[in-house]
Amino acid sequence: MSDAQRARYVALFAAEARTLLALGRRTVATWQREPDEPAHGAELFRVLHTIKGMAASLAFEELADQVHEGETALARVREGERTADAAWFADAEHLLDALTVRCEAEIVREGGPAAAASTAALGAARGGEVVRVEQGRLDALVADLGGLVTARQELERRAAADAISPVARAALAMARRLDVVQERILQVRMAPLSEILERIPPLVRDLARQLGKEVTIDVQGEALEVDRGILSLLPDPLLHLLRNAVDHGIESPEVRRAAGKRAAGRITLVARHDRDAILVELTDDGGGIDREAIAARERAAGRLDASATLSDDGLLAILARPGFSTAATLTDVSGRGVGLDAVLSRLHQVGASLSLSTVPGRGTAFTLRLPMRLGIVRALVAGVGGERYVLPLTHVAELIAWDPTEAHQVEGRLMLPVREERVPVLDLRRLLGHRGSPPPTHRPAILLEANGQRVALLSDRILGQVDAVVQPVDRPKGMPRWITGATVLDDGRPALMLDLASVV
Amino acid sequence: MAQRILICDDAIFMRTMIADILTGAGYEVAGEAESGLQAVERYKALAPDLVTMDIVMPDMGGIDAVKAIIAHDPNAKILMCSAMGQQQLVVEAVQAGAKDFVVKPFQPARVIEAVQRLLG
Repeated sequence: MSDAQRARYVALFAAEARTLLALGRRTVATWQREPDEPAHGAELFRVLHTIKGMAASLAFEELADQVHEGETALARVREGERTADAAWFADAEHLLDALTVRCEAEIVREGGPAAAASTAALGAARGGEVVRVEQGRLDALVADLGGLVTARQELERRAAADAISPVARAALAMARRLDVVQERILQVRMAPLSEILERIPPLVRDLARQLGKEVTIDVQGEALEVDRGILSLLPDPLLHLLRNAVDHGIESPEVRRAAGKRAAGRITLVARHDRDAILVELTDDGGGIDREAIAARERAAGRLDASATLSDDGLLAILARPGFSTAATLTDVSGRGVGLDAVLSRLHQVGASLSLSTVPGRGTAFTLRLPMRLGIVRALVAGVGGERYVLPLTHVAELIAWDPTEAHQVEGRLMLPVREERVPVLDLRRLLGHRGSPPPTHRPAILLEANGQRVALLSDRILGQVDAVVQPVDRPKGMPRWITGATVLDDGRPALMLDLASVV
Repeated sequence: MAQRILICDDAIFMRTMIADILTGAGYEVAGEAESGLQAVERYKALAPDLVTMDIVMPDMGGIDAVKAIIAHDPNAKILMCSAMGQQQLVVEAVQAGAKDFVVKPFQPARVIEAVQRLLG
């Protein structure tokens, strides 16, 4: 078989093996509740058998052998030679975990889709007939849709000036229908988080076994959907953070018992909606990150003032630095793979952000804030001087009208009281180097929230919300990284897109 | 006109691989089925010249599907696709009316040879 053909088979294997392993796990769980139902054994056999066939076809011999042993053990139960007791079910779960790890290793070795497979969603579980579509075709569809959305905004603007003419009414009617089409097309690109999250528990359990830790993992919110382009960026950062949580976060059972904790550490991975974003929170109840040790090291290296302390945000910036390691020596598990800096820069490019909170002795929580969509984003249009800028709603918490007399200088920074809290103020004019016309007296503030921090961003005017079609911009040297792209507004003029998560 | 083949397997991976082998040899894929029930339905709807049939499938396995297809069309040409270690099931399938079998992992030449022999 040719290389291209093999790559295609590996991609199919990746998608199908993952779906089958997830099905296998669900089957074992149900079987445990209904031990007398032979259909569950038959289903598990089909899962193993199908994986074996695929593995053998791709000459993944060790994997095929491992599945075959599993089949043999299962056959003994199905033929009544052995009872499916608790120990057997534990072995079955262990086998599925081990197979998951081996499958992922084979996929990575082949350079296959380590991330969400483009051909995933093969599962029949979600009802209806499932078809496979090449990712490139979906991307092209969204790109074309972008042009159409821009044209439609222009049409709507012109129609609004002449709302009673029949042509204008027809144009507006068409625009409304296009709304529906746009929604449906973007839906096609959406995939459930379960495609990634379902694969996490076995990997974590396997890691824990390798490291002699006891860990339980709980995953919630798998049904939420995000754009496939975002989904495919998730495995690397999640695995990176999980490896660190198991390796450095969760203490050994002895240490935990001595600290009055349960011997088994607990990791939770919870996804939920927050405004126009999806939050993925990864929490461990381990020892927390040793802030003082890291601060001491930074001071020794002259990177931190002797009197300064490290905030969670400052800590994250250090953790993300290329080549950073908290452990005195790298373990085999967390020492390998790409660094946090690399995985984060890819996430920042799509407008995602990461925040950290850690408490000594209690554990660490990382929160990933992800946009739900790529290509076309809901955004706020803000005016500064004569220019307009669009800000994706991912990090916009709320708009506040404020009175300049309410703001106070605190340690040289302008702070604005927002309910119980004081929030630092950033001026878009200053950020953008805007000179010329003086600012209006009343300036709306946009409350941004990212990386666990909040900032009030002053603009001159808020001009409304749009569905912005994101277009990449040429990036001359020195262009701030929070300028993430450009879009064309309804009057046909371009506007820069600002994603200010990184300045918050 | 190219002869038309119905591919029955619950794994897209396997269906793709078989389809590649068959179309590479000039055959036409009449359709695909991912369960035994679907195989029987599609056989009736598509009247293909030949069927490749996996054994382990959900919603009626391959052997029961062979029985149902032969009951509908005693002259149906069915090629079983089995994994290693399923000799007993292959024998059962042949008794039910399957004409030949190939073993996974597939050797393309072996598959083509079996198909050519059945289609004459």
